[in-house]
Amino acid sequence: MNFELSQDHKVLQSAVRDFVEKEIKPIAMKIDEDHMIPDSLVTKMSEMGLLGSYLPEEYGGAGLDMLSYAIVVEEVSKACGSSGVLISAHTSLASGPIYTFGTEEQKKKWLPALNTGEKIGCFLLTEPDAGSDAGGTATTYTRDGDHSVINGSKTFITNGGYLGTGVLLASYDRSLKHKGITAFIVDLSSPGVTILKNENKMGIRGSYTTAFAFDNLRVPVENLLGQEGKGFNVAMDTLNGGRIGIASQALGIAEGAFERALAYSKERKQFGQAISEFQAIQFKLADMWTSIETSKLLVYRAAWLKDNKKNYTMESAMCKMHASETATFVTKEAIQIHGGYGYIVDYEVERMYRDAKITEIYEGTNEVQRVVISKLLLS
Amino acid sequence: MKLLVCIKQVPDLESRFKPDAAGVWYNETDLAFRMNEYDEYAVEQAVQLREKLGEGTELTVLSIGPDRVVEALKKALAMGCDNAAHIQDPAASGKDPWQIASIIAAYAKDKGFDVIFTGMQSQDRGSAQVGVTIAEQLGLACTTTIVSFDYDNGTITAKRELEGGIKGVVKLKTPALVTCQLGLNVPRYPTLPNIMKAKKKEITAIPVVELLREEALATTASFHPPAKKGGGIVLEGDVSDLVDKVIAILKDKTAVLR
Repeated sequence: MNFELSQDHKVLQSAVRDFVEKEIKPIAMKIDEDHMIPDSLVTKMSEMGLLGSYLPEEYGGAGLDMLSYAIVVEEVSKACGSSGVLISAHTSLASGPIYTFGTEEQKKKWLPALNTGEKIGCFLLTEPDAGSDAGGTATTYTRDGDHSVINGSKTFITNGGYLGTGVLLASYDRSLKHKGITAFIVDLSSPGVTILKNENKMGIRGSYTTAFAFDNLRVPVENLLGQEGKGFNVAMDTLNGGRIGIASQALGIAEGAFERALAYSKERKQFGQAISEFQAIQFKLADMWTSIETSKLLVYRAAWLKDNKKNYTMESAMCKMHASETATFVTKEAIQIHGGYGYIVDYEVERMYRDAKITEIYEGTNEVQRVVISKLLLS
Repeated sequence: MKLLVCIKQVPDLESRFKPDAAGVWYNETDLAFRMNEYDEYAVEQAVQLREKLGEGTELTVLSIGPDRVVEALKKALAMGCDNAAHIQDPAASGKDPWQIASIIAAYAKDKGFDVIFTGMQSQDRGSAQVGVTIAEQLGLACTTTIVSFDYDNGTITAKRELEGGIKGVVKLKTPALVTCQLGLNVPRYPTLPNIMKAKKKEITAIPVVELLREEALATTASFHPPAKKGGGIVLEGDVSDLVDKVIAILKDKTAVLR
């Protein structure tokens, strides 16, 4: 067994760390305030190759592996959870399924623009009445000649506001439940796509969370992803991989908050000594760090399993669940260590706390993760 | 043309340093290492020249040290160097600048490099001797602490930083060696696609015994980590007394009040 990153992974980690330190960290607070990641940062992240880390070079990706991708999302999220989820949703939920289920023509057509960040990707599964219960998908399509015509609505679509490339799930017969669902690759700048709104959120405020209406959106038949009626499989497989991305985001947020809490505990003096001299604070730091290290082991292992073509369903559920709960725990304790200052925007841990909460909810709530884990244990 | 850039891996200077067992250098355990800052400027400048000259130019990056320095070499390869030479030496940190320069000179001697780039100095030992000593041993023209660099048809034009912000321009014929200073350029990030491409580039490993011919001229006798800083002066008492004390200190110890 070897628990050390390879030299190549260390080179990547330090390169991304330097990039984040100079390009993202200084503007993370502004991203939260403005509810917007500046286009210039999206361009820089694209040029750095952060939007196509594990996709093969022949489709314009960097050709690295899932562990590299996890490290990228982790490092970015240490400074900015919004930028972390932009990368995660884009890579895992749009490029990922197109690469896994797409035909050679589809991969050649759609992946290069995604990998270079020319188009930002999103995954259109969730609806007002269907989220974790994907079988309840109410967006429908009918065939009209060489097009599928899509009608319905989608909600909580991360990255939706970019109107880039989406992987959309729709049903041709709602009575078939999950067996009636098909996945499509859609160009969201097409007629028939309307943004109902970009949500105003508690955290990850720089990231788009979009509600869409589809009114006779015409999608060419060659954009059908995978097989007709097999969209549910596309969705489940996609979310499996996506959980590693969200777990990495949660891990990064936790590490970012811990770093600040540790530094602050050594600076802040009360009763004539640094508060890190008090056992109450020391125990907090010990618990926080142990949780972070546990999450990291789970996340890296899930990525390693995927890289080695082993089954990783349970591990991706476990790492997502544990890392997200670590993120909310660590960010909460980071505020506590900061005392009153932690509640002030300038100290940034309050933003991290707000950013952390969503990681327990999206990409499958942690309740759903527990269902996945226990089902596999008992099957 | 053939270009060489020499780099060193140094510890993160914000680390907490402890003396090693012999008490002559720092203990490497638990330290995080990265490319010496000045060497990053050297790599960037070498890569820019490599890009300007295009096909037919070969840029080699060299580092001396234990296995960990391969990380720094890989970074330089991802920034755009063509190949790397790893002079394997677990005891490199104990060698003096003369020996380090001799090793590099022995490596470079028959290879016909037209331009050699080094950092101005390392961030840990900071002797600023290795670059100039390589040039001396190889009989190359040399200039130091450059903040701008241009190459045209066998001539280097470089701006040097002198004391107090004064700058001077020097011209030198190749083959030549330059040492690079802060302000020369902004080193590029190794992008993910280039990190991937770097994996296919060749890293030649050469045991140091094949190149080391010289004895040390200066040995390090002892190493002293910085003493723990005191917590400053804490003034206590009545507010009006405190104000007097602060004013006295400002007058005594600073130029703020006279």
